[in-house]
Amino acid sequence: MKPHARRRPNLLVLLAVCAAVLIGRAYTARGEGGEPRYFAVKNARIVPVSGPVIENGTVVIAKGLIQSVGTDVAIPPEAWVIDGKGLTVYPGLIDAGTNLGLAQDDEAKKRGTGPSASGPEDRPATTPWRVAADELKTDDKRIESWRSAGFTTALSVPDGGIFPGQATVIDLAGERTGDYIVRHRAVVPLSFKPVGGFFGFPDSLMGTIAYVRQVLDDTAWYTQAEPIYQANPTKTERLPYDRTEYVLSRALQNNELVLLPANNSIQIVRALRLADEWKVRAVLYGGQQGYEVAAALAASKIPVLVSLKWPERSKDGDPEAEQTLRELRFRDQAPGTPAALAKAGVKFAFYSDGIATTKDIFKSLKKASDAGLAPDAALRALTLDSAEILGLSDRLGSIARGKIANLVVTDGDIFNEKSKVKHVFVDGRWFVIHEETPPEKPGEKKSADDDDGTRLKQSRQVEGAGR
Amino acid sequence: MKILNLSSRAVLALVLAASLAVPAWPQTAATPAAYAIKGGKVFTLAGAPIDNGTVIIRDGKIVAVGANIAIPQDAQVIDATGLEVYPGMFDPITQIGLNEVSAVGATVDVSELGDYNPELVAATAVNPASAHIPVTRANGITEVIAAPGTTGFDLQSGGLIAGQASAFNLAGWTIDEMQINRSVAMVINWPTIQTSTFDFASFSVKEKPYADVKKEYDKSVNALSDWLDRARHYAQAKEKGSPALYERDLKLEALVPVVEGKLPVLVIADQERDIRNAVDFCTKKNLKMILGSGAEAWKVKELLKEKKIPVVLAPTNRLPEQEDTPYDKPYTEPSELLAAGIPFAFSSFGTAFSRRLPQYAGTAEAYGLPHDEALKAVMLNAAQIFGLADQLGTLEPGKLANVIATNGDPLELQTQVRYLFIKGQLTSTDDKHRDLYDQYRKRPQPAR
Repeated sequence: MKPHARRRPNLLVLLAVCAAVLIGRAYTARGEGGEPRYFAVKNARIVPVSGPVIENGTVVIAKGLIQSVGTDVAIPPEAWVIDGKGLTVYPGLIDAGTNLGLAQDDEAKKRGTGPSASGPEDRPATTPWRVAADELKTDDKRIESWRSAGFTTALSVPDGGIFPGQATVIDLAGERTGDYIVRHRAVVPLSFKPVGGFFGFPDSLMGTIAYVRQVLDDTAWYTQAEPIYQANPTKTERLPYDRTEYVLSRALQNNELVLLPANNSIQIVRALRLADEWKVRAVLYGGQQGYEVAAALAASKIPVLVSLKWPERSKDGDPEAEQTLRELRFRDQAPGTPAALAKAGVKFAFYSDGIATTKDIFKSLKKASDAGLAPDAALRALTLDSAEILGLSDRLGSIARGKIANLVVTDGDIFNEKSKVKHVFVDGRWFVIHEETPPEKPGEKKSADDDDGTRLKQSRQVEGAGR
Repeated sequence: MKILNLSSRAVLALVLAASLAVPAWPQTAATPAAYAIKGGKVFTLAGAPIDNGTVIIRDGKIVAVGANIAIPQDAQVIDATGLEVYPGMFDPITQIGLNEVSAVGATVDVSELGDYNPELVAATAVNPASAHIPVTRANGITEVIAAPGTTGFDLQSGGLIAGQASAFNLAGWTIDEMQINRSVAMVINWPTIQTSTFDFASFSVKEKPYADVKKEYDKSVNALSDWLDRARHYAQAKEKGSPALYERDLKLEALVPVVEGKLPVLVIADQERDIRNAVDFCTKKNLKMILGSGAEAWKVKELLKEKKIPVVLAPTNRLPEQEDTPYDKPYTEPSELLAAGIPFAFSSFGTAFSRRLPQYAGTAEAYGLPHDEALKAVMLNAAQIFGLADQLGTLEPGKLANVIATNGDPLELQTQVRYLFIKGQLTSTDDKHRDLYDQYRKRPQPAR
């Protein structure tokens, strides 16, 4: 025992040295490969969102953070200077609800439904321990396409089941998966969709809500019981382990947001009541019929993530199916929700909700602005308000000193469909956005030399002559 | 959920024996040769009502109707003073005799496996001892048509060609005794293009792409077309070819009267598109079509009128087809069809609730259908639609003596049937409902 004990300090020193070297390397490695770490965008129009627009201003980025912003800003000599003449700088956009980086296969759809349950004790479709950060696949092609359109941050939400897991706030660039993660356990999303099928529990909406209530009660009990048992293991009955209670207890003590599903007005009113009853930091998602209950939402002070997937007629539906007045009305008025929420003073953010392309996201935003949403309110919802709802406004959502250097630089108003994104900064990483030129398809070019028809004709003539 | 049962008479008999304490069979012993119903107000449906009229019945038929008619010596006189006399009601689409207790598979004989079963004949499966028969006739319904394949979880579960519907009287010991016409129509459940289907695995509604569903639909219609073409060819081969060269095919043989236009097709369809497609199909194939159910028939009145297609309406006490359709559309549809000149009849499409037939007409009357038309729609029209008006539907000499005498308007819920004649027989109005009523009236009363 003695020699061993004597050697230990040496080992620790050695480990510490190794760690220091490795950490040092890791940090320096970021700048390797010729990537500059200091930038300045000068002479640009800057929209900080948190303050008034700055004409002919400069933003300085240093090691992933915004160092300074204003008209009279010293540009450090090591900075890579980008001339921002004719360009506008915005904070990077935030997509407050996506499945970017999460698997979309059938397995993902099935997950969470699990075997048939007979009661809440079987914890049907409940996997709160799944954290999006742990399943993140950074080779998801959508990450680059989102980034190129000006989105620098997203809430990546696992789906499938009543408690599908915990959502992660990610920045849309990095070398390793870990680089992407802004906050790995940020949000607990809920779904009220019955999962039981014909024989399982719960197979109704009331059953699902009763189940969520039961789980939250069990978790509250666990949260109280755990320290009591830990303090007196010899005097207290042993605490049974329940993975759901264990994980949720920590998530709720950690003040994570709880996402409640609420798309139509009935669901919204119900979610407000449940949020009040459950005493969680609730955020509603969906919110598309918010135009009917904007006042109630404002009074509750509960923020809303508004789905940009506006209701529309199914593309592969029956073309002759009668459209009900209810559906038509909802389709007509849903894009007016953001304007109604802004007017009522409800804090809201947007999320793409499975929209496949960024082009469609901007089309949806256009619909909201056509329905009365002011451009500055739209921008705020996509940046600072979103960051505030997610509890990250100290580091995201605006162009201000000390914030993460997430910027999007465009050649015009960001909501103008003719504007192009020129540069994007994510955590101070610089991306030049080149306009995509679609590859030529065979047969499209119509010059005489390449005309297959002509060549074929010629070859036939040659053959004919040979005969 | 197809329930197949062709050899369950024994089980059925046991079930019935257990459930019926006092069977209410029609009385057949020592019946008089003739009846005279006198003193009532007679609604013949073939002219104005006759106050203090007399109806003479002999050998199952009506022999005389009028105000001043001599009563034959041998006739048993029924005093109908204060009563109203009508033809019995006719429920033209039911599963009576084919379905006893829906939840007991062994008693359900409504449909057969497979999509194309033209050779099936409802009459062969009708159970004359069904407890539903006395219940139905006690409410004034004297004859029905049993139509195979007209019920189930969805229309298609009964098969595309579900079989032949049979008309019969609601009294008798055997189907041969009861039968009016063994085959009055070929039932076709028109396929529908339905994009939302119920998925039992997840217990939720699933949306299918329209293109896929349309393909399925086209396949079904093409198959239906092929069957009819083959039947036409079969008829030709049978008529002109030598018997040695064609093989007998019962399915095709059953379809021959259909393609020859002798046997009408009873096409069950509700949605406008389905009705239009079915009408086009039947026109192209030269079929004699009767539309069954027809919830949206009011949308295609011009077409139905032009093609002279009658409608047998499904129960009208229901919600309208579409969310934005006026709530009272099912009640006003009958008067709309009348105004458009389209023949129509009410029907129960059921078994235990066949007795509600007069209510459908009564409700329609409250929503604008004239009283005499409402009466015809449950007494006469079905007989005309199914080609049985020479035997049924009015009180006229020569017709089958299916007659009811009631204490008031038969479309009124509280009205009771006091006398009931089926095929000229005075028939009991006792039924299981009355048995239960009597049984529980005798229960021990709490001490006061």
